[in-house]
Amino acid sequence: MHDVVWFEIQGLPAVCIASSEFDTAADAQRTALGMKSAQYVLVDHPIQDATDEEMRNKARVVADAVVAALTSQPAGPSSGSG
Amino acid sequence: MTPPHTAFARQDTDGRMHGFPSGRPSLVCFIKEDCKTCNLVAPLLEAFQKAFADQADILIVGQSGAGNEVFRKRHALTVPVLDDGDCAVSYVWNFEVVPAVFWTDGAGRPLAHFEGFVREEWHDLAKKMSVVLGRGCDGIVWSDYPEWRPGCGSKHLDPDVNDRLKANAEDSPIRARRIDIGSSDDVSEFMYDQGFSDGLPLVPPTPERVMRMLTGTRRNPQEVVADVPPNMGPATIEKIAINAVMAGCKPEYLPVVIAAVEAICTDAFNIHGVTATTMGASPILVVSGPIRHKIGMNMKLGALGADNRANATIGRALRLVVRNVGGAKPNGVDRSTLGSPSKFTMCFAEWEEGSPWEPLHVERGFEEMDSVVTVFAMTSGPVQIVDQESRKPDEVAGSLGLGLEGVMLSKIHKMPTDALLVVCPEHVKTLTSEGPYPKARLRRRIQEVTERPLSDMVAGLTSGAGLPRSLASKMSIDQLGAPTSKFADDQYIHIVVAGSEAGKFSACFHGWVTGPTGSVAVSRKIETY
Amino acid sequence: MAAVTILDPTDERIPLERQIVARTADVKGVVGLLDISKPRGNVLLDELEYLLGAKLPGVELRRYRKPTFAKPCPDDLRATIKAECDYVVEALAD
Repeated sequence: MHDVVWFEIQGLPAVCIASSEFDTAADAQRTALGMKSAQYVLVDHPIQDATDEEMRNKARVVADAVVAALTSQPAGPSSGSG
Repeated sequence: MTPPHTAFARQDTDGRMHGFPSGRPSLVCFIKEDCKTCNLVAPLLEAFQKAFADQADILIVGQSGAGNEVFRKRHALTVPVLDDGDCAVSYVWNFEVVPAVFWTDGAGRPLAHFEGFVREEWHDLAKKMSVVLGRGCDGIVWSDYPEWRPGCGSKHLDPDVNDRLKANAEDSPIRARRIDIGSSDDVSEFMYDQGFSDGLPLVPPTPERVMRMLTGTRRNPQEVVADVPPNMGPATIEKIAINAVMAGCKPEYLPVVIAAVEAICTDAFNIHGVTATTMGASPILVVSGPIRHKIGMNMKLGALGADNRANATIGRALRLVVRNVGGAKPNGVDRSTLGSPSKFTMCFAEWEEGSPWEPLHVERGFEEMDSVVTVFAMTSGPVQIVDQESRKPDEVAGSLGLGLEGVMLSKIHKMPTDALLVVCPEHVKTLTSEGPYPKARLRRRIQEVTERPLSDMVAGLTSGAGLPRSLASKMSIDQLGAPTSKFADDQYIHIVVAGSEAGKFSACFHGWVTGPTGSVAVSRKIETY
Repeated sequence: MAAVTILDPTDERIPLERQIVARTADVKGVVGLLDISKPRGNVLLDELEYLLGAKLPGVELRRYRKPTFAKPCPDDLRATIKAECDYVVEALAD
């Protein structure tokens, strides 16, 4: 989340895509960096064992959420389901 | 019936929670690991534990953080050693010396209390406990112990610790919103990003620092000193203190900053206009009276420059209040075309002792022993006035006049604008070399040497500034020939003395618009204790 | 660095936590896709690049790659992205 916070301070809307395992860490990081509203979007774990098609599917699931994170002021992190 | 001691719940060195009161008679002893007397009594506490623990709660409360476990191991204690590293419990229980012993009933009500080591007191306590709990306490050879031994100051009374505790206590005078800076964030960058800074680094205004700053005044921290334009933000004593911390002030400077805030927020001074003008005006602070020496202000060598903390930070604190409480920022309300370094700070003290005249504050109606701050709205300066040759009073006075003629633009005369003339000691010497040279005479001389015919002021090919030709063409020869002094009124020339005793260089600050549409100099008394 | 608490020096009319930058309703300009270099992230980003290309016609998509996922983005890469992009999507942290 360090990069996301840095880009936001520079004036660029930013979002980080992270695996669901990273949820608590992402929230803790953005709090520690003092920007509680920094955006991240979650995809389902596992990552390393996923096939290419499964990875592509994760992208399909979160694409809208990524755009939303860049264009609206949501209250918290958004998550793709499935 | 005495009220019980304040309840608490703390973890021991094994992570187990212990609460007070516990429903059983309790012995609570506060210690520091590095206190020799605390180490002396540790075996006594262990003996109490072995004798009484099935009927009473023996608790050691350690102020030493990780040192608590060191203490426990050193004495092979089975007595729980609880963590009061932040001294919050110590602060509320309010004792002075460790070891501090409290013997209470099951509800926490005090039965005995003493601090340090007086053998008889500890022996009596052991006897008391035996009586109440119905059994003896073995294993203590009282004669092995000294008759008395002084304890150590409790950690909660260390100034840093105490300030923090006071600031966070429920009855703390602090009311300002607390901002927690993320642990991976940088407090300095945060303050810059929030717009608190004038461009230079700030001292983070932690609650402890602000508490310490508030010791510089006796006024109530929540008292509203003024509503600061343009946003009319209420400047409480506390808000002023917060900005004073950021500026780098010491607590003893705070009363000066408070008085300056009062002064600039008057209608007469008109800080809104002063801040907003494209002419880039700023308040210049001149401090008078005994406080100058008390807080170590500079009134001599380099008085208008850098290097003196009081001068630098008092002026800066005032600017930060205007910025942060009043909301006046460049590109917001502040539209100065160029501005000046005075927007950072400009504050100095008059060298009254070297002045042949009454001090500025006396001239302005105060008592000599009053401490006073006077604020002047000035657009530029200091501008040096160089005269290393004049030997006669009227000659050097003439030079000072010529130096002042440049205010606004040299050809512009009779404008309702003021100036602050800072006469250096060598020029004072020359001025008074043939006898007294009152300020009134100096003002007259300045006006005399700057007399030019009104026609000089007319817009022309050299300079399009000044009296429009359309107006001038309607005037008679006599009118255009009328000798016109620089200043619309002698009283617009403010005069003080400052500077080192070597150097024939006086200086002046150029004003803005004076009078009801502009800004008038204002003086305020500084509270002193 | 240890957490610090400071007191608010202002008249407190606005919130003072760091806020994310204001958004506009549409994505316009250049979106930077930053691969943090964890394995498999590139597969997701490839697909995302394709999908965003379809969802956001007229928006330019550029790919970047951190040298290592173990540290924040190096300064010069950050500066480049800042200069070239209007938005940043970083992936894939796990």
